[in-house]
Amino acid sequence: MPRPQPSEITFSIDGREVKAPEDMMLADAAKLGDIEIPVFCYEPKLGPPVGACRMCLVEIEGMPKLQTACSTAVKDGMVVHTRSERARVAQEAVVEFLLINHPLDCPVCDKGGECPLQDITFGWGGGKSRFIEPKRHFRKPLELSPLIAIDRERCILCYRCVRYSQEIPEDYQLVLLERGAESFVGTFDGHPYVAPFSGNIVELCPVGALTSRPYRFRARPWEIEDAGSICTLCPAQCNTRLTVRDERVLRVLDRNHPEVDDGWLCDKGRFAYQAMHVDERITSPMIRDGGVLREVGWDRALAEAVGALRRGGSATAALAGGGATNEEGLLLGRLLREVLGSSHLDSRDGEAVSLPHWRALANPKLAARVSDLEFAHAVLVLDCEPLDDMPILDLRLRKGARRNGVKLLIATERASALDSRADAAIRFAPGRGAELAWALAAALRGEPVDAAAQAAGIATDDLHALADALRDAGREIVILYGERVLDGDPGALLALADALGLAEQDGGGLLGVPAVANGRGLREAGVTPNAGPGLGLPALAGGHGAREIARRLASGELTALYLLQVDPVLHYSDAELWERALARATTVVAHASFLTPGLREHATVIFPAETSPEKEGTITHPDGRVQRLRVAAAHAGDVRAEWRVLAEIIERLGGAPTPPTARALSEALFEDVPFYGGLTLDGLAGRGLRWPELQVSNTLSDAYEEAEPKLRKPLRAAKGKLLVGTYRSIWAAPEVAASPALAFLTPRQRVELAAADAEALELRHDEAVVISDGEREVRARVVLRAAAPAGTAFLERELEEDGANVLRGPHVTIRTVASVEAEAAALIAAEEARAAAETETLAQAEAEQVT
Amino acid sequence: MTQALLFKDIDEPNLADIAVYERRGGYEQLRKVLSMSQDAVLSELDASGLRGRGGAGFPAGRKASFLPKGDMDKYLVCNADESEPGTFKDRELMQKCPHALIEGIVIAARAGGINRAFIYIRGEYEEQAQILDRAIAQAYDAGYLGERILGSDVSVSLVLHRGAGAYICGEETGLLDSLEGKRGNPRLKPPFPAIEGLYGGPTLINNVETLMTMPQILRMGGNKYAELGVSGSSGTKIVSVSGHVQRPGNYEIELGIPSREIIYGLAGGPPPGRSVKLWFPGGSSAPVLTAEDLDVPYDFDSLAKAGSMLGSGAIIVVDDSTPVLDVALKTARFYRHESCGKCTPCREGTNWTVKMLERIEAGEATPMDLDIMASVQEQIIGNCLCVLGDAMAMPIGSMIAKFRGEFEKHMQRAQLTGASA
Repeated sequence: MPRPQPSEITFSIDGREVKAPEDMMLADAAKLGDIEIPVFCYEPKLGPPVGACRMCLVEIEGMPKLQTACSTAVKDGMVVHTRSERARVAQEAVVEFLLINHPLDCPVCDKGGECPLQDITFGWGGGKSRFIEPKRHFRKPLELSPLIAIDRERCILCYRCVRYSQEIPEDYQLVLLERGAESFVGTFDGHPYVAPFSGNIVELCPVGALTSRPYRFRARPWEIEDAGSICTLCPAQCNTRLTVRDERVLRVLDRNHPEVDDGWLCDKGRFAYQAMHVDERITSPMIRDGGVLREVGWDRALAEAVGALRRGGSATAALAGGGATNEEGLLLGRLLREVLGSSHLDSRDGEAVSLPHWRALANPKLAARVSDLEFAHAVLVLDCEPLDDMPILDLRLRKGARRNGVKLLIATERASALDSRADAAIRFAPGRGAELAWALAAALRGEPVDAAAQAAGIATDDLHALADALRDAGREIVILYGERVLDGDPGALLALADALGLAEQDGGGLLGVPAVANGRGLREAGVTPNAGPGLGLPALAGGHGAREIARRLASGELTALYLLQVDPVLHYSDAELWERALARATTVVAHASFLTPGLREHATVIFPAETSPEKEGTITHPDGRVQRLRVAAAHAGDVRAEWRVLAEIIERLGGAPTPPTARALSEALFEDVPFYGGLTLDGLAGRGLRWPELQVSNTLSDAYEEAEPKLRKPLRAAKGKLLVGTYRSIWAAPEVAASPALAFLTPRQRVELAAADAEALELRHDEAVVISDGEREVRARVVLRAAAPAGTAFLERELEEDGANVLRGPHVTIRTVASVEAEAAALIAAEEARAAAETETLAQAEAEQVT
Repeated sequence: MTQALLFKDIDEPNLADIAVYERRGGYEQLRKVLSMSQDAVLSELDASGLRGRGGAGFPAGRKASFLPKGDMDKYLVCNADESEPGTFKDRELMQKCPHALIEGIVIAARAGGINRAFIYIRGEYEEQAQILDRAIAQAYDAGYLGERILGSDVSVSLVLHRGAGAYICGEETGLLDSLEGKRGNPRLKPPFPAIEGLYGGPTLINNVETLMTMPQILRMGGNKYAELGVSGSSGTKIVSVSGHVQRPGNYEIELGIPSREIIYGLAGGPPPGRSVKLWFPGGSSAPVLTAEDLDVPYDFDSLAKAGSMLGSGAIIVVDDSTPVLDVALKTARFYRHESCGKCTPCREGTNWTVKMLERIEAGEATPMDLDIMASVQEQIIGNCLCVLGDAMAMPIGSMIAKFRGEFEKHMQRAQLTGASA
């Protein structure tokens, strides 16, 4: 559905002539004339207005009754009076009604001081109270969930939270119970409201009825500072507003950016700020001394790192991840390529993607922006689970499908949370996203599909149905893909984009979800083995990608590893190879906030990493929006700016001097990356800029020659075995485990099975099992999922314990822990019996000897 | 005086059976509309001047003409929730003559170009629902419902849906939400149901009596029907008379006769020795009238001029043996209980009003509270999402205005007895 293009009209409000887009709701249009109309239930983010609270009653000439400004579309020539006698009386009446049952506990209410009910009472209320009867009472406060407290006495029944639950994440958990004056917000049977986006209701609540449990009683509005920031816990890079008191972040709120987050946050982004201020966080440098990590001063740690890197020289490799900024990426590239003489650096798992592929993928003509998801004719979700990989997009996709009729098509290996919203969904074999893309491209082009479909593990009928749905949807199509789809053959996705003619469409294109928050920015800053800053030719050729780096470290060809906010043992696939690689490396220098398994065992020097509120620099959103991070809170403990640490190391190793300030460094970045040319920090301001929209952006050539598909062999079923697929949960993050409020969500390994497979393997729901690929094992609990594709077991990656990253697949066996233990016990018993027999024989022989 | 159209055969034994209904001329109008154009049916309805019999009194023909033309899914919903206190006309009509409703539904569907119809009946009407179930099955068997009715190209499906007993589900948009399986809350209008109603499709919603009148209009011809009654209130109306009258029940009257003729002539007036103190002319949500208003003609416009409304045509008579406070409290408690809670003035206003009336009853109020109560009613009227709030505020407001002296006397008495207790 194309974006609406409303025409401009003029209307009169309280005697002012105001211009506004036609059909804008009066409550919003009034603001264009600097007139505020009070509202409680109205919140445009929640969809169509409901007119429930009646706070916004205004007088419109020609209409006999007062009208709700929230639901009245503004028309040319409309004459509105918001403060006429009739309107004023009605507004005072509504305030009076709302206060009837509202307790006057403002002095102890968290909302006090930032409460719309307080503000509107002062602004539009009658200033008197005539209600002397007893107010209604509820038990309070109650836990609505471990994260949210509900005070039903304070609730003014505006419906916002209930509408949110039903209209935005569509979880339908919150409902209004009872009726009339007895109504209250609750859940079915009192179940806790636990959901990935539950925290948004706290911010939606116009009174103190829903409060954040971690924030309750921590601060009053007049004691806090507000600081704009960006969440760097995932690629969504949601814009946030931090509540800071005494240099500690106490709360995270949304900072509505329609092109980024649409004004919502996930619970990870909202509550994981707690991890900034926990004891487990690394806040001073450490070195390994006598096999044990211990805290040291900066000088000692820097000297240690510099010495080790000098020894490592061109045998040094580097990886970057997490929320590392573009500037840090730039410096990491300079350190490796210009100072140490190595080009082995990467910012993503797996094999290296070629430079022509990266350049073609970054072509501005192919770039979709986030809001296109909401207005395109169709969106194809390819090889990613938005809810886990870039959570906020889950809400955006639902919005597009719900409000604008965007056709939602899903092609993933694992069942998606969006399936129930989708017009079509197909499943391919684990890891075969590239083959699926080739098959789909072939189907769209009318070419033979059998080989690719077989390699992708899908039925050709399903494939053609999906292709038909895409073809019939309309011109503007967005492909939202997980960067995993580039593994195997990056050309597949480009072929699919070509088959759909995406380069010719304004409202469509590609939107890639990287594995880490600033995946795109790090790549564009040059943290990729075969490209320098700006996807230019690297200063040094012959760089290896992450997987090859692991192999070469394990074989001893490379000896030192520099880790910028990444622990490959935790984050990358084939954890066992990485375990060997890190064990073999003589030097592992890491910037980290938490001691993850690989660092705990193998890091030789650890520098404390910054969290995003402490950082200065820029990051790049998956849709090319360069966003600015500003310091919002002071560094915890001995933490230093990471770019300064990198600059110091470069300098001590004799490299060229780094610009002296963060601002100058950002300017250097904009100079080094040609398509960032023209950006300035002031220009980025609080909203950022999308470089694909800039005039200078087209420095990437369109020249890309499609090559023959490289298809892997089809995955065959094996008797008694299942294919293994992996995914990363939204909650798999050290920050979640470290935040006291979120810790209850920390995932434990679970193996997702189709009922038929579980039955064949005689496994029950919640049974403890051992999953083995023949050499490596993972323990898990069985979870039966109706939507799970048969023949494949799905396990979670990136868990500190029993992460599926260790498994190589493609097949695994699953046995119950009980049977494995029984077998082991039998083996031990047999061994003991054999040993006992042997002892007896020996004793006999001895006895015979004695005699 | 009484003019029997809907009630002409109402006491015919077994009229609920299709054979008896057909013998009395039933389904002849259905056959007729099958060969009429949609516009022709609409113009008959328009000519009849029929105003909706559910409460709002909106011209039925015009309502049907609001539905957009086109091939989209359109719906007809028969509102058989009959939840307005004092109203029991639809119950008798459905119980005794269900086929006339079915016939009316097909006619209305024809007028609106609709082929999917529902009857939403209140849960308490289980007996009537079972009768309708049987009648609908018979009508399907006889080919009066379903695909290609009687071989024509008109198709109308009909589903009977039982509500769970909530006043608000008689409000047309609350009814639609309930019918969709949601909590029965009224919706914001616009969009009006004629444009976006059930399942988002254009929807025509009519009361049982309105639909049952349609076969009569077709039979007589719209112009002929319009000759009945008075200007602005054509035709006949079933009036449910209850309360302090000697012969309570449903009476079919020609609109425009003096109210006194209904209350005294048909229903026999209050028991001997008592007199009418107040009466609700159109259900419990109508502002009350007094004995002085008994000569007001019983039609839409005259009652409106007298400061009340014809509503659903339910006359509740209260004689001088009952304190007005009891009437007010009973009325207010009903609406507090039935308020859905969605919009503020209704939710809080009904609740507050009951609490104030309880204080008056308990002798804890002063005349100032009457002013507050009157102003609270003013604060409700016209400010709500639907008319439920007004439905309490209008009668309560009228009682305070007309019986202020009695309220004050009660306060004084209650204060004295309260003090002595």
